Amino acid sequence: MTIRSMNTMFAKTAAVLLALVLTTGSSLAAQQGGADDEEAEPAAPTPRWPDGKPIMGSVPGQGVGGWGAGVTTLPRDQELDDIPFQPWARAVYDIRQIDQFEPHTRCKASGASRQFSTPYGTEFVDIPELERLYIMDNGGPNSYRIVFLDGRSFPEDIVPTNYGYSIGHWEGDTLVVETRGLNEKFWIDTRGTPHTEQLKFIERLTRLDMNTMQYQATIDDSGAYTRPWTTIDFNLRWRPGAELFEYICQQANQGPELMLGSQEDVDNTRFFVP
Amino acid sequence: MRRLFVSGATALAARGGTLRAIPSGFCHGLLLILLVAAYASAQHTPGAKFDLNEPLVLTGEVTQIDWANPYVHILMKVPGEPLPALWAVEVDGAIILGDRGWSAESLPFGETIRVEGFAALDGSNQISGNSVIMTSTSGSVYAGTNGTPPARPVASGPTPRWPDGRPRLGPPPGETGYWGNPSRPAMVEDGVNVEMDAYGLLNDIADAGRIAPMQPWAQGVYELRQRMFLRTDPMFLSCKPPGGPRQYQQIYGVQFVEQPDFDRVFVLVGGGNRNRRVIYTDGRDHVGQIGGNDDNPLFYGHGVATWEGDTFVVDMRRFNEDFWFDNGGLPHTEQLQMTERFTRVDMRTLRYEVTINDPWTYTRPWTSTWTLEWIPGQEMPYFLCQDNRP
Repeated sequence: MTIRSMNTMFAKTAAVLLALVLTTGSSLAAQQGGADDEEAEPAAPTPRWPDGKPIMGSVPGQGVGGWGAGVTTLPRDQELDDIPFQPWARAVYDIRQIDQFEPHTRCKASGASRQFSTPYGTEFVDIPELERLYIMDNGGPNSYRIVFLDGRSFPEDIVPTNYGYSIGHWEGDTLVVETRGLNEKFWIDTRGTPHTEQLKFIERLTRLDMNTMQYQATIDDSGAYTRPWTTIDFNLRWRPGAELFEYICQQANQGPELMLGSQEDVDNTRFFVP
Repeated sequence: MRRLFVSGATALAARGGTLRAIPSGFCHGLLLILLVAAYASAQHTPGAKFDLNEPLVLTGEVTQIDWANPYVHILMKVPGEPLPALWAVEVDGAIILGDRGWSAESLPFGETIRVEGFAALDGSNQISGNSVIMTSTSGSVYAGTNGTPPARPVASGPTPRWPDGRPRLGPPPGETGYWGNPSRPAMVEDGVNVEMDAYGLLNDIADAGRIAPMQPWAQGVYELRQRMFLRTDPMFLSCKPPGGPRQYQQIYGVQFVEQPDFDRVFVLVGGGNRNRRVIYTDGRDHVGQIGGNDDNPLFYGHGVATWEGDTFVVDMRRFNEDFWFDNGGLPHTEQLQMTERFTRVDMRTLRYEVTINDPWTYTRPWTSTWTLEWIPGQEMPYFLCQDNRP
């Protein structure tokens, strides 16, 4: 038996036991009423730290787990005309539907909601002692984003980066993460929703139960939109026992010339051979 | 960082003829030191990209600044017939220049600059910016410090510890910081004294055989890589990760995040593409790699660790051969196994001792030791190898 399957089994068993203990009464009622028959095993309730705050990642004593891929696109087709694009941004969006030459395909670190859309998901590594949360990605750049939870304010001059500068605070059971200082070298989602360095990206993360993380984003970018707009809710699904592994995008990338910049179709403002 | 920038470049300009007389394979001695001094250590040794036998002086008008890592580029228009030519001037990276008070705005568009440096090996219109002078002010830009550099914080005090008494590899609660300033640029067997530049390029190629107990083929590979000024480095060519001991040789640092609740330690790598990896302390064996890579040899290998007193001992195996595990280009094979011993001597100092055991490459196991310095109160700089690529 591999460690992975042991961990998975352990986590599943623990989750089921916990769920049984906590929900015996209500599941009896549900059976009688015939509701909730889609979910064979009701998810355990939201795990919490001793101070009552939700645990966003793995639960001590239950082994590690991760969040599956969820958010693939911010606007939906039927909503496109409701998105307050500035004209240039709508044009860029439309072009990107045809020319889907996303920086992520060239192994560029891609922050904001794009971090949640690689096939291998993410892990939330909660370090209460350091008052920060690391959001580790598996696919793409195999990198991480820091969310500061220590009540700090944004620095005056943030040097824009691919993952930006993220600060989180709690609103009830919802972790609200605001990210500023994002550069323009990546797409914030797989559809190519445009953004500028003025973007303030606000994410609302709510762990509804053990297995479900609700995700909603607000795009506040006066450089590309006429007013802030908010996505519908997406859910990330918990993957018990899913450990982080090594994924190096650069290993077998079949487009090394793209990474080196000899392709003339690519953004020609950066044509330097390193 | 070295500060010989301007004087080194001036000396070079005055010795153009001498430079051409240098054998094309390799430089020795003082001249090479001066050349190296022209750059801070960012990604590649100058000879990896530029022809050190081709000094060049150009004057042109600034049209754009590409403010990025690993290197900032100044674009300039150099007058010519029938058309002016667009040239790229390579200077230090955005993090290094930013730390010294420079910004993209330090050199306005339209300014005329005089650049001394070397021509690119590949014949493209690129020049190393060993000296960049604004002709309007005769002032040097992107060299030395611009204004008063911020005070460099220094950590002090005893080794921080967990409640159970074990040393902390990361910050104490409520603090932040990372490990930087590696005391060695590249691996050398303990007890051997050789001089090399900040990228691991030997000052004297005759020292190659002394670096480590290499098998003949391995020494041949190492010498070839050195003679080519490390320009075949997969990290330089295509941003492959700095796996193995090399992640502790990176100038942008490295960070540990310990998670005792889950028996693991994250290593956040400040070089390459800011990868993260995991060292397991839960007693697992080297049975495959978790999560779908069961049989894949890896860039960062598979690491399991235990504590021996105050020393964190990591057993590393299962490396692939797609990267250099050392800045200086020492070779390895998939047979590589390493034992890493981390000892936090005090708050400020982490001693790193690595024993290399790769019987296909080396005639016996050998050990190299260096230290890293705790940079207190700062986050690790955000460096991406691919930053200035399209």
